[in-house]
Amino acid sequence: MLNTVGLSLEQAPPIAVPFRFFLTAPLFACAGGLLLLWQGDGATLSRWTPAALAVVHLIALGFLTQVMCGALFQMLPVLAGAPVPRPEAAARWTHGLLSAGTAALSFGLLGGGSLWLDAGAALAATALALFVAATAWALLRPAGISPIVTAMRLSLAALVVTVGLGLTLVAGLSGWTDLAHFTDWVDLHLSWGLLGWAGILIMGVGFQVVPMFHVTPPYPRWLMVWSAPLALLGLTAALALTYLDLGAAALGAVALPIAAFAVFAVATLDRQHRRQRRRLDATLLHWWSAIASAVAAAVTWLMHGPDGLLGVLVLVGVGIGLPSAMLFKIVPFLSWFHLQHMQVIARRFDYRLPTMHGFIPERTARLHLGAHLTALALLVGGVTLLPGMVRAGGLALAVSSALLAGVLANAAARYRRHAAAMSDRIRGLPSL
Amino acid sequence: MEQRLDLRGLEPPEPLERVLDALAGMRAENCLRVLLPHEPFPLYALLRPMGYRWRVEGRVGCCELLIWSGDGPSGRAEKV
Repeated sequence: MLNTVGLSLEQAPPIAVPFRFFLTAPLFACAGGLLLLWQGDGATLSRWTPAALAVVHLIALGFLTQVMCGALFQMLPVLAGAPVPRPEAAARWTHGLLSAGTAALSFGLLGGGSLWLDAGAALAATALALFVAATAWALLRPAGISPIVTAMRLSLAALVVTVGLGLTLVAGLSGWTDLAHFTDWVDLHLSWGLLGWAGILIMGVGFQVVPMFHVTPPYPRWLMVWSAPLALLGLTAALALTYLDLGAAALGAVALPIAAFAVFAVATLDRQHRRQRRRLDATLLHWWSAIASAVAAAVTWLMHGPDGLLGVLVLVGVGIGLPSAMLFKIVPFLSWFHLQHMQVIARRFDYRLPTMHGFIPERTARLHLGAHLTALALLVGGVTLLPGMVRAGGLALAVSSALLAGVLANAAARYRRHAAAMSDRIRGLPSL
Repeated sequence: MEQRLDLRGLEPPEPLERVLDALAGMRAENCLRVLLPHEPFPLYALLRPMGYRWRVEGRVGCCELLIWSGDGPSGRAEKV
């Protein structure tokens, strides 16, 4: 008979919970690439073209938010001791509504009309409201204050504000409300989304996974404690200033979260430089390319550089590059962890588990890195030098995203094969 | 009797594997003291269903984890 003393099934949600998000996300990035291939430099002439708006949301909502939702569903119980109630149902509904909402919203922004825009916004907002409700409930539980729990709480708060601002903008576009200084509110929406929801969560998760996976010294305590609150403070000031019609001053307030992220980037480079294992793997190179993109984006922003360049660096260089770097470690670790958990529950340790490299080989990860950097370079070239390169960049983005989808799907398939083999072995021998 | 393991400087999942291996070979009346670079939250999800209890000492820079079976030598319940 299995000894299940102390077992809490919520402590380790089924692997399907995060994997449904991780496997869907690259498909949206691929769609963004195909849209750029179709529209070419017409998409990047201005940040306000329908195609540019659609691509931004395909990547920000379809890729980045999907990956972060999946990561939180898994990390809350495992890293913060805060299990999400009914994780399978919550994940299924969040994923389904978010996927449908992203597709509809992007189609609406592309020119599909206000019906698609409104429907997409409603679906995506419902998905994220459900997600926030489930994860906020879990985050109420940890009694202690740790930097990662604080970052998760603040990033969720930023997500709520981002969604609220997004709904307000859609209402303005659909004519339901008259929004003065529309562009200032758009800047606020993307600041809260990219620097608040994404940036704060990336920092919080990074504080845990960088030392863990790269065997580095921990981040400085002052950085872990203050970066997220200061970032949120800057964004809150920007919100207040925009409300008071002080859009120019609001831009200055956004410098605070940008500075926090820049310090995090420098600290990450320093940690990784001091890592104990000197081996250079694809994950490290992904991190470095994302950090370089973040620094270049910050310089571009300070020097009032072209919006297209800023968009490519932030969304593709950081928004796709950095989560990809994390996924190449997180997916193999989760696969190994869930198989190990099966062994522990069954009290059977006679099945040899694969190594982490057995789920995602290094050469495959390097292949994806090469494809990603090619896409990034072509898109940067397209928005700065030769507009004709945008189509090639879009194709390269679609290819690298499809490759990422394939790599993750292959890892999931390897997990399923080992899980099935282990189950067969457990059933085949007498119970302990 | 107390067994000590210094698992700093190892890449995941080797620290978890080494802890599980050590526990598999440990007598019920003994305990395991583990040195890790940070608090090993994923390990707790593996220890709990196996009936082990633990106490964490230290958080930043180094984490010292004492693991025992049942009530163990100190008689204290798990901290988490």
